[in-house]
Amino acid sequence: MNISAKWITTLVLTFSSLALVFVLNPDGQLRILANLLTFAGIYALAAVGLNVHFGLTGLLNFGHASFMGVGAYVTLLLIPHAAGREGEINENGLPFLLALLIGIIAASLFGLLLGLPAMRLRGDYLAIVTIAAAEIFRLLVRDLESITGGVYGIINFSSALQKYRPVFFDEAVISLDLAPAQIWVGLLSWISVFLVLLLLKRLSSSPWGRALRAVREDEDAVRALGKNAVWLKLQSFMLGAGIAGVSGVFLAFNYGFVETTIFIPLLTFYVWAIMILGGVGSLTGPIFGSIIFWAIISETDKIASLIFENADGQQLAGVRFMLVGLLIMLLMIFRPSGLLGKKEELLLNVK
Amino acid sequence: MIDQLGNGLLLGIIISVASVALSLLYSVTRIVNFAHGEIIALGAIMTLFFSNPVDSRVIYLDRFSPLGLDFVISAFLAVILCGVFGGLLELILFRPLRKAEVGNIAILVVTIGLSIFIRHLYLIFATGRVQNFPLELERRVTYLFFDMTPRNFRVLIAGIIVMVLIGLLLTFTRIGKAMRAVRDSGELASISGINSDNIILITWISSSMLAGLAGIFQGVINDIRYNMGFLILLLVFAGTVLGGIGTSFGAMVGGLLIGIFVQVSVAFPFMEGHIEAKNAVALGLMIVILLFRPQGIFGQKERIS
Repeated sequence: MNISAKWITTLVLTFSSLALVFVLNPDGQLRILANLLTFAGIYALAAVGLNVHFGLTGLLNFGHASFMGVGAYVTLLLIPHAAGREGEINENGLPFLLALLIGIIAASLFGLLLGLPAMRLRGDYLAIVTIAAAEIFRLLVRDLESITGGVYGIINFSSALQKYRPVFFDEAVISLDLAPAQIWVGLLSWISVFLVLLLLKRLSSSPWGRALRAVREDEDAVRALGKNAVWLKLQSFMLGAGIAGVSGVFLAFNYGFVETTIFIPLLTFYVWAIMILGGVGSLTGPIFGSIIFWAIISETDKIASLIFENADGQQLAGVRFMLVGLLIMLLMIFRPSGLLGKKEELLLNVK
Repeated sequence: MIDQLGNGLLLGIIISVASVALSLLYSVTRIVNFAHGEIIALGAIMTLFFSNPVDSRVIYLDRFSPLGLDFVISAFLAVILCGVFGGLLELILFRPLRKAEVGNIAILVVTIGLSIFIRHLYLIFATGRVQNFPLELERRVTYLFFDMTPRNFRVLIAGIIVMVLIGLLLTFTRIGKAMRAVRDSGELASISGINSDNIILITWISSSMLAGLAGIFQGVINDIRYNMGFLILLLVFAGTVLGGIGTSFGAMVGGLLIGIFVQVSVAFPFMEGHIEAKNAVALGLMIVILLFRPQGIFGQKERIS
């Protein structure tokens, strides 16, 4: 398939999936679409980060949820918040942007830490190490209740971001009968997606980006040319982890609370599904992958109603995750390059 | 610390049997099977399905009437069913992928998708409730140093017997030798007249039967839930890695050690008040081993970078 045909397919699929959501929901389409697009923006950002790891550099990272978690927890704990069982209020905090910056740095450093095994380990081993490290992170966060709020989580942090909402924005959103707080988070995450993509576009066509792709294709050749392949891999790990950190922060603001069950391995697999759907190694792929993915997710209750007469919450969740699993399997078997990926760039035959 | 040894042995035997199964499959097919946990859960869920007594209404699959078979017969049937399931996976999914020369990493991602799919199939049809086998409660009895119920003690003994049998089968029978030949080199094995497709099919079946058995053990010792396999999967990886990936004997010992380590770590001074995080210690140990001695305790040195 040539490039334009790929793009036409992608755009048609994206718009028809959104149109389908519009048609299938007679009431409150705007709200459903706004909700869907907010999640899509946040997850697209995470998938862009994962694509730096896997698509660009060929690193098999299954601990993405922990990068999102580190970013979210560090940022939220630095701004005013309430944490733990008692909901102890912490009025003092840094301004949001400064806290976000520290959160990104923390996520990157965690990426560096998780990247260290990548220096020594082959693909499938790295997968096991990263998923285990992500679980260690989650168990520790749950355990350190005095700092992180443990299973009770963190609440009352939203105003740190929401107070920057301009008045005209509120008026416009309310006139559409939508919730300004959520649209604000959605808008900011989509802006971040585009900023990050601009940055990555420049980076990937720079000598640095070419060196990264070269690491993916043939590490020994990179070494022979005098480049430091290990350091390149670590840089890739840090960059992708930092991007994931931002996405984790927006995810927390979208929920309005944060607790450890958000960052279970399934979150990582969601992001993987989006990345594969959009196209491994394609910069813009995650945007479309994420929108289509969330369009499918938002219609799971319709799909579940085909199977069950009155599906309960458990069955709905079951159907939703079954679809995710099925999507990952089918894509990997029949179309591993996804919508916009290039087959020749896939790193699936590494031993 | 001694108090925890009994619990550690019990957790260890579950992980050990599951690790041997995972390791066997990996060594012959080079597949890192993330769906292994779901086969573990299948063993327990099917045993419960067969053994639910009609009158007690411990219903699992609500649509079907409980069968109320004897527990041992149920377990036996469930293990066979797991074997059939594993065989079908190989025939329907993994053999075609292998013939299409799909890479190892792609297959790893497929097993992740498969794992999510099957696990939530269980959630839908077997509910998210935590359940137990219809067995009577028993008091703990002291065996040598450790306390456990007689039933759990029998599970421990059964696990050890099964693993000795597996070891003997792998070492001395023609199939075991063929498996090791395919592991070392599929091409050389097929030159010497071994049908590697058949051997891989047998490996899938036996690995899945062992996994199902581990699940039944887990159900007896702890409880049964739809995601029980995924909950223990990382510890099974840890056991496999500790013993040395691809060595069956290593996986046995590694699994036991990980189980004991997890339970005994509860008694470490720095773990006081942090019991919930006990799995983190074992997973951390696994990462350290992979970094500094990737061949594990019993594995041979192999380039894995």
